[in-house]
Amino acid sequence: MGEIMTGYILPCLWASLACVGFGLVFNIQGVGVLICGFGAGLGWLAYLLTVRLGMGDIFAAFLAAIVIGVYSEVMARIRRCPVTGYLQVALLPLVPGAGIYYTMQYCVEGETQLFLSTLLHTFGFAAALSVGAMLTTSVLRALLPHLRRGGT
Amino acid sequence: MDYDKLLNLGVELGRRLMESGAEIYRVEESVERLLKAYGLDPQIFAIPNCLIVSVTTPQGHPITRMCRIPAHGTDIELLERCNELCRRLCRDPAPVEEAERMMEQLSNCRQFPSYVLLLGYMMTTGFFALFFGGGFWDCISAALCGMAVGGCILYGQWLTGSNIFFCTVVQAAVAAVLALVLVRIGVGQNLEAITIGTLMVLVPGRALTNAMREIMAGDIFSGLNRTAEVLLVATAMALGTAIPLVLGQYL
Repeated sequence: MGEIMTGYILPCLWASLACVGFGLVFNIQGVGVLICGFGAGLGWLAYLLTVRLGMGDIFAAFLAAIVIGVYSEVMARIRRCPVTGYLQVALLPLVPGAGIYYTMQYCVEGETQLFLSTLLHTFGFAAALSVGAMLTTSVLRALLPHLRRGGT
Repeated sequence: MDYDKLLNLGVELGRRLMESGAEIYRVEESVERLLKAYGLDPQIFAIPNCLIVSVTTPQGHPITRMCRIPAHGTDIELLERCNELCRRLCRDPAPVEEAERMMEQLSNCRQFPSYVLLLGYMMTTGFFALFFGGGFWDCISAALCGMAVGGCILYGQWLTGSNIFFCTVVQAAVAAVLALVLVRIGVGQNLEAITIGTLMVLVPGRALTNAMREIMAGDIFSGLNRTAEVLLVATAMALGTAIPLVLGQYL
């Protein structure tokens, strides 16, 4: 129980609260901020669970980005608002800020091997993130007209 | 019909959308739909800092307007209002004067006062410090650093200019120096958590998410532009954080 609390619930809670703060900076008014915060928590939970299942963390970032993408698209359709705001804020915990920091640190310390591998890893992480987020939008854009036509 | 006013209306909508941080395809699509609703056949071209709209009047007279978009932040509330207005005008095109008045009213959409923005920065950095494994005091220190960085972003424009590279170097350096000082005087313990937590407000999240979306939407040029922005900002962050770390080794 304690492990679940510190390992899963607390990080997701911190991610949500941090993203609520960032939503204010982006001038998201009203309920939108809470939606972003919840999306961030959800995305991080997906990331943690995927890592737990033994997948690599780049793949985990990809999956988490897809989860956030689907969530933001659904919310945007419900509230009839552009999806981009929710997506940007909810993806924030996954953006490799720590990767950039460690890359720089290894560079300053002169650890060339570690520097290069962290740099490439950070690139991969960021690429997985943006491909994942983009994939949901593209797939939904391609599928939705067909689904609507089939439904009516 | 007054085509000059109509063109201005379209450009105004496009400019507002761009300044609120919308993707390029959304800007082009919205302006096109708006002008088509008024019975014109517009040509629109947009890249991240320029918007060109051209229409031909039924008499065969071409009119073009170009608008340069300055460096801007993100304003989701404005984006949503613009989207709503565009949708409404497309559904039933109001007379041009009334539409212009509606467009004017977009300027005074709800904005948070600056203390709420500062609070937002503090919340982001503080909770990200916890997120990256800091303790309670690290959270407090990171919130202080966040306040300093937020102050730089909100009020420091006269000092840093609008060059995004230089801005980010200064902001990252401020964050890292303050984090180092706070750890040295014993307020925080976990230097990494504080610094990374504070850096998260400078991370190019917006450009990163938009870059791929633009490329996939077919705006390769804008996508590459944003990708370059991501690399530039990330390098600037690393440079800014490196300055105090290098100095710290000798002090």
